[in-house]
Amino acid sequence: MIGRMTMMLGALACGGAALAQQGLGSQGNAMTVGVMQDRAANGPAQALFVEKCAMCHRQMGMGTVILSRRMPATQAMLEQRTDLTGDYVRTVVRTGMGNMPRISRGEVSDRQLDTIVGYLTERRP
Amino acid sequence: MSIPDIRPALKDFAAAIGAQNVFFSDEDRAAYSDHFAADETRHRPGAAVAPGSAEEVQEIVRIANRHRVPLWTISRGKNFGYGGAAPVAKGSVVLDLTRLKKIEIDEHSGTVLVEPGVGFFDLYDHIQQRKLPLWLSVPGNSWGSVAGNALDRGVGYTPFGDHAAQICGLEVVLPTGDLVRTGMGAMAGSPNWQLYRNGFGPGWDQMFCQSNFGIVTKLGLWLMPEPEAVLGYDIEFDKIDDLGWAVDTIAALRREGVIRQSPSMGNWLRSAAVMTTRSQWTDSKGALGEDAITAIRKRFNIGWWSVQLRTYGHLDMAEAAMRVIDRAFDGKAVLAKKPKRWSRGETPEGTPFSGVPVTFPLANANWHGGRGGHIGYSPVLPARGDLAMAQFRRTYALYEKYGMDYHASFSFGERSLTNVNQLLFDRDDPDMMGRVDAMFRDLVRDAKANGYGEYRTHIDYMDLVASTYDFGGGALGKLNRTVKDALDPNGILSPGKSGIWPSHGGARA
Repeated sequence: MIGRMTMMLGALACGGAALAQQGLGSQGNAMTVGVMQDRAANGPAQALFVEKCAMCHRQMGMGTVILSRRMPATQAMLEQRTDLTGDYVRTVVRTGMGNMPRISRGEVSDRQLDTIVGYLTERRP
Repeated sequence: MSIPDIRPALKDFAAAIGAQNVFFSDEDRAAYSDHFAADETRHRPGAAVAPGSAEEVQEIVRIANRHRVPLWTISRGKNFGYGGAAPVAKGSVVLDLTRLKKIEIDEHSGTVLVEPGVGFFDLYDHIQQRKLPLWLSVPGNSWGSVAGNALDRGVGYTPFGDHAAQICGLEVVLPTGDLVRTGMGAMAGSPNWQLYRNGFGPGWDQMFCQSNFGIVTKLGLWLMPEPEAVLGYDIEFDKIDDLGWAVDTIAALRREGVIRQSPSMGNWLRSAAVMTTRSQWTDSKGALGEDAITAIRKRFNIGWWSVQLRTYGHLDMAEAAMRVIDRAFDGKAVLAKKPKRWSRGETPEGTPFSGVPVTFPLANANWHGGRGGHIGYSPVLPARGDLAMAQFRRTYALYEKYGMDYHASFSFGERSLTNVNQLLFDRDDPDMMGRVDAMFRDLVRDAKANGYGEYRTHIDYMDLVASTYDFGGGALGKLNRTVKDALDPNGILSPGKSGIWPSHGGARA
């Protein structure tokens, strides 16, 4: 299990895509934007998401930052989405989307992708 | 160049490492292509194989030799500005080492032995979970491999930021399939493999950097003991010409060891391209004009140039270094000089200056909206202010000539300066992509005319850059080829890497 390792800084501490906008949308030099990404996980499925996806899809990840430009704040953090389907996640991972590169099966196996899909779709109503 | 039918080899690969680890569908081949390319098919591999152990790497190499099939080795394949996972020679089989993820840390000595699949976030998590008092040095975009980045001579922002210089001991699969360990690792059971670089006789670690002479399956690296304090300044400069005196000031501090990290002095676009998109500033084509530059600087409250200086270590030492830095900048006009101070027990700065991995800087791929990317152009020059200014003026003129937005920094080595440029582009704009290629060739020509060479380059330009290292009629290139042919007689390992091609084999220039 991946242990809790950091606290998020300041405005980033509340969670949500708006935070990415707060962190990057205001004044200041991009070289000194501080971010301590929450790397915690509960259970193996979330741990796999953290290992494979969180670097870009949690707070201040490249994916979160770019997604927050074109969708509502609550949509930019994948773990807060309730509308993701398995087919959609699989397609985006394997074919890429916008600035997201394709993720190879060497990096994320089909079985691992099934686990991540399960985690990201469990919040569907 | 021609590559033989790889299908018989794929069968043997599948028998050796399992069919589930051999990938050759169109979707798989696309996943190992150059993600930033206008035409991803130019460097599309024929297949990819992902072994799970050094023994499996050895077996793959033996099979590749039997079938004369070229392999293109990647660690994690995230070096996007330089071609990502894609091979120089189209049709090569990508040897993807991302499944090799072992981490062995010697806490007492401050060293780590990593396999190539270990990313910066993996190693960071490993250290944090165990609460080890060790800091990483990470590049500005930290999703890549720790070993791969060091082997490609990547750089970070702490005193351990010259990553290739921190290498201490390798395990390497040679092109014949034999396994060697370098330095003290050549002695079975040595406790000094990650402690003493040279061993006895010739040292080979650097031979496997940016080369195609072997496949590194383990890499020893020195880590920075957690400092007691990190002090520094974030400095903004108002005028373009401030670059000259600032380079002379900082270079002296770097030579003397007052500053032991590699500061990077960059322009306003570094902030704007990460935090915003171009359409927020202008609808006009061509390089950004003065109005937009002024608006960007005002919005982010930044200078034409910015630099971050940091000193690390015991508080007494860091404070003493800060006093020297103060004296060095005394009486010199800066726009802002904001002090930074961290001491043990506080939350770290949360940037690469404190070894924290981040990925958001690559949001600059979205600068033009749509599907973007960048290509790196990074010539090395002497750490002198007058030469830095001249370099800036010539390069800036080329950005304007080709209608590209100036995105550059000057990174301080101990004796040299690397002018890191990122040409930010929209890969769905064919006209722009054509200009990028022409501009890149012009930039290389300009650097060569001044005696400067690039330290690293994209797969499209490896032959071009190698050709600029031309002393003695290209004597270095001849030496590289002699070594290549001796170690890899069938020419199967990463043909074309760094402009090194085999004389014989399935893929040769």
